[in-house]
Amino acid sequence: MSIYIPQETELIKIITETQNIKTFVFKPKNGFSFKTGQFVELTYPGFGEAPFTPSSNPFNTKEFDITIMKVGRVTSLLHEAKEGIVLGLRGPFGNGYPLNEFLKKDILIVGGGVGLAPLRSLLLSLFTEIDKYNKIVLRYGARSPKDIVYKEQLKEWSKIKKVDVVVTVDVGDETWTGNVGLVTTILKDLPLDINNAVSIVCGPPIMMKFVTFKLLDLGFKPKDIYLSLEKNMSCGLGKCGHCRLGKYYICKDGPVFRFSDIKDIWDIWD
Amino acid sequence: MVTYFIQGKNFLGLLKNLKEDYEVIIPHGETDYFWKSFENDFIFNKYRAITSIRQFFFAAKRTVGKYFNKLQKEKRPYCIVGAKACDLFSLNIQDYVFLSEPQDLDYRLNRENNLIISGDCIDFKEVCFCVLLDILPYPVKFFDLNISPIDNGYIVDVGSEKGEKIVLENKDLFEDVDKNKILEIDSRRKKTIERLFSHLRSQNLPKKDSLYNLIKNNYQANVWQKEALKCVECGACIMNCPTCHCFLLFDSKLEKDYLRAISWDGCQYKNFTKVAGGANPLKFRSYRLRNRYIKKFEFFYEKLNLYACTGCGRCIDSCIVKIDLREIFKELSYSEVNLK
Repeated sequence: MSIYIPQETELIKIITETQNIKTFVFKPKNGFSFKTGQFVELTYPGFGEAPFTPSSNPFNTKEFDITIMKVGRVTSLLHEAKEGIVLGLRGPFGNGYPLNEFLKKDILIVGGGVGLAPLRSLLLSLFTEIDKYNKIVLRYGARSPKDIVYKEQLKEWSKIKKVDVVVTVDVGDETWTGNVGLVTTILKDLPLDINNAVSIVCGPPIMMKFVTFKLLDLGFKPKDIYLSLEKNMSCGLGKCGHCRLGKYYICKDGPVFRFSDIKDIWDIWD
Repeated sequence: MVTYFIQGKNFLGLLKNLKEDYEVIIPHGETDYFWKSFENDFIFNKYRAITSIRQFFFAAKRTVGKYFNKLQKEKRPYCIVGAKACDLFSLNIQDYVFLSEPQDLDYRLNRENNLIISGDCIDFKEVCFCVLLDILPYPVKFFDLNISPIDNGYIVDVGSEKGEKIVLENKDLFEDVDKNKILEIDSRRKKTIERLFSHLRSQNLPKKDSLYNLIKNNYQANVWQKEALKCVECGACIMNCPTCHCFLLFDSKLEKDYLRAISWDGCQYKNFTKVAGGANPLKFRSYRLRNRYIKKFEFFYEKLNLYACTGCGRCIDSCIVKIDLREIFKELSYSEVNLK
């Protein structure tokens, strides 16, 4: 079987999250498992594929979710798709979040926009074995109240013992009574011990850049900051060349990197 | 290494015999050589062809499969005649990319099944600089048979079991070799190397060992902007480079079937790194030009301790606006950043 050919995966459910973000639930024909943080290439047959990180709990091996924002050619087609159609799937690719390195730690998770999707997979993994971790602190920023994904789940998560959730929006509206400001504004007075903490960041590049700088200011060490990078990953195997960053291929060596491993590479935020 | 002699007319006979099992590819032309299928005649190419041999191992465009089923196809392997040392050196890079796990099976089958009958360079082009990179102008690795022209035939070196098998199957065509002829070939090889060095000496190019640092330490050098302003993004440097390996996966629809295909791609094209959201790390031509040099002289050097450059000069030859790798390295060696 060629490494470039996808397997069949049925789209069994579509959940509308926001006006331009939907969660798609898939049931792969030949079985599939992934580690949280790994990504897949999802094919819209006849049109092409695009990289996405699953947003569901990897402990569920029968189905998996991908939360997708409508931004390009393939994602626009996916947003028009109906339940029951068969799509293509390759992967999983790359290295996921190193959960073993988070044991007995305070875990700060910072998400921006649809960047909460891969982090939901991480959160659900952590919740499944929550006794192994000290504390889980989630800080999430969206553009506006209408752009917040997983609204109901965010409320549910905040009720879990050892879990602390704070949400902010860049711009509020008449319904919004919560925090207003960029996600960096809710990174103060964090209820955790920075000397025994790790932080995981996922969102648009500009958000990851300023969050990383803020975390460094707060005293996080570069090796304790994990970033989910995204480039034009195509083959997923470190062969097609599109996603090189310094000595790494994001698809093969990432997409999750410690900041200490990439901080000396030029233009990492572009 | 086992060595034979083959007369010119018998070499034609060998190619005719190989045609039974292989798509025999030979060079043709007088000053520039192009690849074509062998029919009846053969001309020995004095130096490398215009395009590299990459196309015979990783086609410029191919259908990978009809999904959700693999496309089954029968294809005769290639016998590539006239590949040069620079072409063969590039297999170090291509093998690293496509034979690393998980392997590209089409590439692997081509590597296993293709036959390589390489040849010495008995002359060189103005743009050739292989010896600067310690690549000799005659093959030492990766060939099945290698031919060096002499008198009315060729000295044949056997470089693999597959090559040995070809000789055995066609043993009537081969003769024992006269030792004087081997000495004559050795002498010509030395002269070719001397001539190449003499050609390069006047160009005053930086030494091989300095190239890695020249790229690593000159990320912000002016030369990238200066040279890239000339670039028209035709992609000739990418398409002709033997070590370039980047490709694009794309889909198409054919009646009821879905086809997945691959075509060569490259970092000099504007959308190479563009993502759906619009971000493009290599948004400027200067970034893209620099990227090409970083990939070849920094990335692969760190991975393999090899430069992904064979000194074939094809990027120089094919560039319609005269962007010249040699000039870029010379300029980098004089640049301010480097002098600091």
